[in-house]
Amino acid sequence: MARGFAPLRDVPERADAGGGSRFALDRRLLDDLADLALTGAKAGGASYADIRLGETLREYAAARDDRLEHFDERSTRGFGLRVLLDGCWGFYGARRLDPASIREGVARALENARAVRPIQSQPIALEQLPAHEAEWIMPMAVDPFAVPTREKSDLLLAICAAARDNGADFCTASLSLAREERFFANSFGARIRQTRTRVHPTFTATAVDRAAGRMASRDSLTPARGAGWEYVAAAALLDEAKIAGEQARAKLSAKPVTTGDYDIVIDPTNLWLTIHETVGHSTELDRVLGWEANFAGTSFVKPAMLNNLRFGSELMTIVADRSQPGALSTIGFDDDGAPAASAEFNIIEKGVFRNFQMALGQAHYIGLPASNGCAYADSPTAFPIQRMPNISLAPNPDRCSLADLVSGVENGVYVVGAGSWSIDQQRDNFQFGGQLFYEIRNGKLGALLRDGAYQSRTIPFWNSLDGLGDASTYHLDGTFTCGKAEPVQVAPVSHGSPPARFRKVRVLNTTGDA
Amino acid sequence: MFLTSDDAKALSDKILARSNADACVVKIDGGEDHSLRFARGGATTNLATSEISLRISSHIGGRIGSVTTTRLDDEALEAARARSEEIARMLPVDPEYVAPLGPQRYETAARYDDNAISLRLDALTAQAAQVIAEGARVGVDTFGCASSARRFEALATSAGLFAYEPRSEIDLSATARNKADTWSGWAGAHEFFGARLDAASIARRACAKAAQEAEPVDLEPGDYTVVLEPVAVADIAFWLMSAMDARAADEGRSFYSRPGGGALIGEKLFDEKLTIRIDPTDPLAPEGGVGWEGVPHRARAFIDRGVVSTLYRSRAWAQKTDAEAVPFARNFIVEGGDAALDDMIRSVKRGVLVTRIWYENMVERKSLLLTGLTRDGNFLIENGRITAPVRNMRFNQRLGELFGRIEALGATQRTWRAAGGGGAAAAPPMLAEKFHFSSKSSGV
Repeated sequence: MARGFAPLRDVPERADAGGGSRFALDRRLLDDLADLALTGAKAGGASYADIRLGETLREYAAARDDRLEHFDERSTRGFGLRVLLDGCWGFYGARRLDPASIREGVARALENARAVRPIQSQPIALEQLPAHEAEWIMPMAVDPFAVPTREKSDLLLAICAAARDNGADFCTASLSLAREERFFANSFGARIRQTRTRVHPTFTATAVDRAAGRMASRDSLTPARGAGWEYVAAAALLDEAKIAGEQARAKLSAKPVTTGDYDIVIDPTNLWLTIHETVGHSTELDRVLGWEANFAGTSFVKPAMLNNLRFGSELMTIVADRSQPGALSTIGFDDDGAPAASAEFNIIEKGVFRNFQMALGQAHYIGLPASNGCAYADSPTAFPIQRMPNISLAPNPDRCSLADLVSGVENGVYVVGAGSWSIDQQRDNFQFGGQLFYEIRNGKLGALLRDGAYQSRTIPFWNSLDGLGDASTYHLDGTFTCGKAEPVQVAPVSHGSPPARFRKVRVLNTTGDA
Repeated sequence: MFLTSDDAKALSDKILARSNADACVVKIDGGEDHSLRFARGGATTNLATSEISLRISSHIGGRIGSVTTTRLDDEALEAARARSEEIARMLPVDPEYVAPLGPQRYETAARYDDNAISLRLDALTAQAAQVIAEGARVGVDTFGCASSARRFEALATSAGLFAYEPRSEIDLSATARNKADTWSGWAGAHEFFGARLDAASIARRACAKAAQEAEPVDLEPGDYTVVLEPVAVADIAFWLMSAMDARAADEGRSFYSRPGGGALIGEKLFDEKLTIRIDPTDPLAPEGGVGWEGVPHRARAFIDRGVVSTLYRSRAWAQKTDAEAVPFARNFIVEGGDAALDDMIRSVKRGVLVTRIWYENMVERKSLLLTGLTRDGNFLIENGRITAPVRNMRFNQRLGELFGRIEALGATQRTWRAAGGGGAAAAPPMLAEKFHFSSKSSGV
């Protein structure tokens, strides 16, 4: 079945590695600062210490209708030193890279570890990680930071014009770029340099019917990626904006969804967020241990459920990895210094729950020998915490197209693109909107629908999975900004999936009887 | 890195003097932060950070290029200035360009306490210890976060404006869960002055809510009378406030749009008990004096006795519509009433007391349909008494309808940081009818 409504294109995922961005910060300086920190921490009594030094470059440009509203470049450099002293963590971070700041950092990190000692009822225990000396650079063809400013601003204005010339009354478009350059060193002897880049072009086309007092919008379906400018250039954003303008207009007069239980087919452009919220977050061990109980929440998944919980139907295999080309969480080593190979595992295997995601110092709580490479700090000055690697739904090994999935539905709904989202603090009850809803009648896609959302519970939902697209239907999506922890850290992460079919899911009309 | 007003002025003056642009704006912000998370009687993560960033925005021929850096050495600042000018020259002309503001008069908001000692990690540990001790006394597990900050924001323009605002912040929030892991409670507070934070009270309230041995009651989805505690009211009111953008209303993209065109300013859209205002001089939840784009915040109501009286208006949209620019509010105050929380509960025949809500998201902007769930302290009210914990529920609620049928309001109090990022809110407990719970949640 052609994607006439969603002009997604496969674009080069892994371009010429020779074009990758080289590590630019002064290596000798970083080596010396790291040695100063780790030596000082050891002299101060720390049983373990690690340090992240580096710089993050960001660029953000935004257009609205016929104006370029923002064009900002931002560079942030600094370090974060973590020490373990008498079983207590202490951390200090600063946006400076000089010996005096490092010395202050050592003193303050040790002081902080001593400060929390009165409430540390159980000492923090760490496993020994192998000490890697390595350099990893994300391959890409065209450095997005080197693309001329005018080319970027013209693209955003052209996107807005394409949407507005084709049905939208308003359009906003933006471009986010990020490059992380990190040097990690720890007292086990690890020395790791890494550089990765990501890009996120996006837009929203909006149509308004002032007389009726109604509005409708259609967000871009082009996902964020770990890639260079070649991804943006090949993403057919102008074609998508044109179609989005037409669809925003069409949504104003579309048929309303009738609330009821339907068989639904979910496109990967929507399903990625459902995977993220229901599987990605529920299987984070720090949540299970209660470390996020005061903010992001805990989980309905318990340690005793490992290898026992029937999470979904046999079609459901969820894979965690840090090596998927073009994905946002792809990297050589996590922020504890664990290699990407540690983060290659199945979370769900043929419907059965098999693995938690873990960061350094967590595995022993559930009787395992070592973590599995799932740590990330969103800046050098942030404390590294457990975060998702790329987490994806494996495609059906048997041939199955989108048309095959739709053909098995008598009365249902097809959902495209992520809309509003919400899930409870233990990752059970959820409600997701979408960008486009289509009627399915007697095995065929039908009319465009409006005002839809689906609501379900994690385990019944995944157990109702009875159809899955094959590898030819697989699509990688994701977000720049998954939030977690206090203070909040944002992490980039990708989720791939084929389209999938679920039976008897509650679909709401959001303007009527939601 | 915490800069004084004089330090920030000297730094911005140096950059403005070197600017080759038609106009230049320098924004500096930074400070020191501390944070401590704890779970089941032990510290999990902690940090102390010193951060600063400086943004140079160069205006050239109706175009603005901006560069932000965290390096303050001359070489880095000069590179940032030059790059911002280079960017500006390469951009298309902004048809809605507005030049930087000149000198403004700002209200002084009482949001800064120079007692940095009270913000350090050992002080936060002492607060956490009170929560942990109360949990042990009552027999529940405790989880929480204590954090503090001493921050500043400075803004300077080549048109002669210089503004500087410091603030100190301290907050503590605590979640408690019973040993059977079948129920939870929460309490929290955010203050600009360390001495005002009452850790013992937060500990008592969170632990008392969690200390429930009874099996939680399951309610069927439907419309219920609810008593919302102040933090829940502030959370929901935040969404109401977030939608109050004049441009969106004028363009027909908002709940505040008038059918046929224009904004619904001056219209009574809510119950007359609802007033939401801001005030930099209000001691309860003072808004900062310096608003977005440097426009001063003034004491004003956005919703006055149910009538929409003000909408946010960017300087560009204000120029285009020949109206006053009104900056987005980070803090707000929901005016209260004279009903006591206990009296509200006594007046309910059957309903739900909601402590806290979670994962709200706007489902439909035009009708302000908000979804979300209850969390950490949800209780059944029967015949004027709290009779049992009640399992959490998802709601799908139109905010115009919720705030259009307020039955009673209690005394306004400062709440936890509902507005985020240095923001604070004050809100009363609220009794409302027909709050729509759309499905059950097993999440505890």
